[in-house]
Amino acid sequence: MTKNTLNVIGGVLAVAIAIGAVAYHACAQNAPAWINQDNNWTTNKAALQAFGERFATSDEMFNVLKQQAHGGTTLTWAQMGEPAFDWSGIYTRTRASLQFDLDLPAEAGPDSAKLTPAGQAIVNAKADHLKRTGGEYDPLSDCRPPGTPRWFSEPFLKEYVVTPNQTWLMNEMVNDTRRVYTDGRPHTPQDDAYPSWNGDTIGFWDGDVLVAHTRYLMTGQYQRGVQPDYSDKTTVVERWHKVDPKTLQADVWVFDPVNLARPWYTRQSWTKLSDEDRMLRIRYWDCRENANNSIVITKEGTSQFPGFTFVPKEATNAK
Amino acid sequence: MRNRMLAGLKLPLYAVALAAAVVVPAMAHHSGAMFEEKKEVTLSGVVKEFQYTNPHSWLLVDVKGADGKVTTWGFEAEGPSSMTRAGIRLKDFMPGTPVTMVGHPMKDGRPAALWVKATRTSDNRVFIPAKGFAVR
Repeated sequence: MTKNTLNVIGGVLAVAIAIGAVAYHACAQNAPAWINQDNNWTTNKAALQAFGERFATSDEMFNVLKQQAHGGTTLTWAQMGEPAFDWSGIYTRTRASLQFDLDLPAEAGPDSAKLTPAGQAIVNAKADHLKRTGGEYDPLSDCRPPGTPRWFSEPFLKEYVVTPNQTWLMNEMVNDTRRVYTDGRPHTPQDDAYPSWNGDTIGFWDGDVLVAHTRYLMTGQYQRGVQPDYSDKTTVVERWHKVDPKTLQADVWVFDPVNLARPWYTRQSWTKLSDEDRMLRIRYWDCRENANNSIVITKEGTSQFPGFTFVPKEATNAK
Repeated sequence: MRNRMLAGLKLPLYAVALAAAVVVPAMAHHSGAMFEEKKEVTLSGVVKEFQYTNPHSWLLVDVKGADGKVTTWGFEAEGPSSMTRAGIRLKDFMPGTPVTMVGHPMKDGRPAALWVKATRTSDNRVFIPAKGFAVR
């Protein structure tokens, strides 16, 4: 072996080591393992928020998470009986709250969201409207679905079904189901895409953690009151995990260049209800079922019942 | 309009009372803008019908005035699953059941309210729909 050959090999090795070191450094920078979490929720939340802020886009974040999971694992039907993947039961939000960020008190503003000037202007306008009129109109009053990300903040029942190829995240409210495709398919291509209430969600399993990415959403609001709006540019990264037999948890990062100056991290959590007498049922929601549930928007932009029939229920059912 | 309506109710047969109440955020699928959430009305009557429906249930109660005229009041609560969680079943309020209702009345004075509490006269059992959001 000549001296030149040795120099070439040495050079290649040096470059390889350098690339490896950079890659390791980058990976270590982005890799929480899984973000060192202890009993200090304030610190943990700050770390999870900071983690999201390392990424310019949710796509970048999702791809890094997938890379770290080595592409993710494929579940089998045999695994569905394992406690980690058995998400059966009926759940509700761990705290009865309409706040998107469960840590915020009921009457607080969106304190944990850093808004753009445009996003802040919308929140200010809502606060002004509430002050002037004492009320508001919620588009959901006619039984349209909440859409995502508002899906998270609805206080009604939730039900979940994990299968190897899809996970269904079901909301009692307005019979609303989000489907997370985990069969390895990519998102609907951009030139075939169209906006929808819950968008297009793909995901993968990192052990017993479901990592999901959503895009192609419609505009909406995180919830009533003075909570922000989200735009149709919104995308979402989620990490779902059954943390104990009664608790499902999702770490959620919302990216919205229109309304958010940085990704909005929140921890969403649902508790499995005891339902000891097994009487709980999720039934179909239809605002036309009972005419007394009709809601209209007033000229001031608040809500009102148009009238009460108070006739026997049979007479109010939609035919 | 509400004052006009209440004046027509002629106490004490209607046993109407307005009082400051704890503000409870509406967990409904619609805004609670139509209700006076800081006021309460108390009425006694008999159940006309319990509409156990999604997304909201309505308990219709016939309330008799001093002049003998009967007014049907509607009390709005959540749908069947939340009512079930609150321990409120359809069979609890069969037509003809005497009850005393407490609710947040409508701002415009129409005979309807957000159901806060119902006390069944026969056994003094109290039914509170908001308990349907307890996490347990």
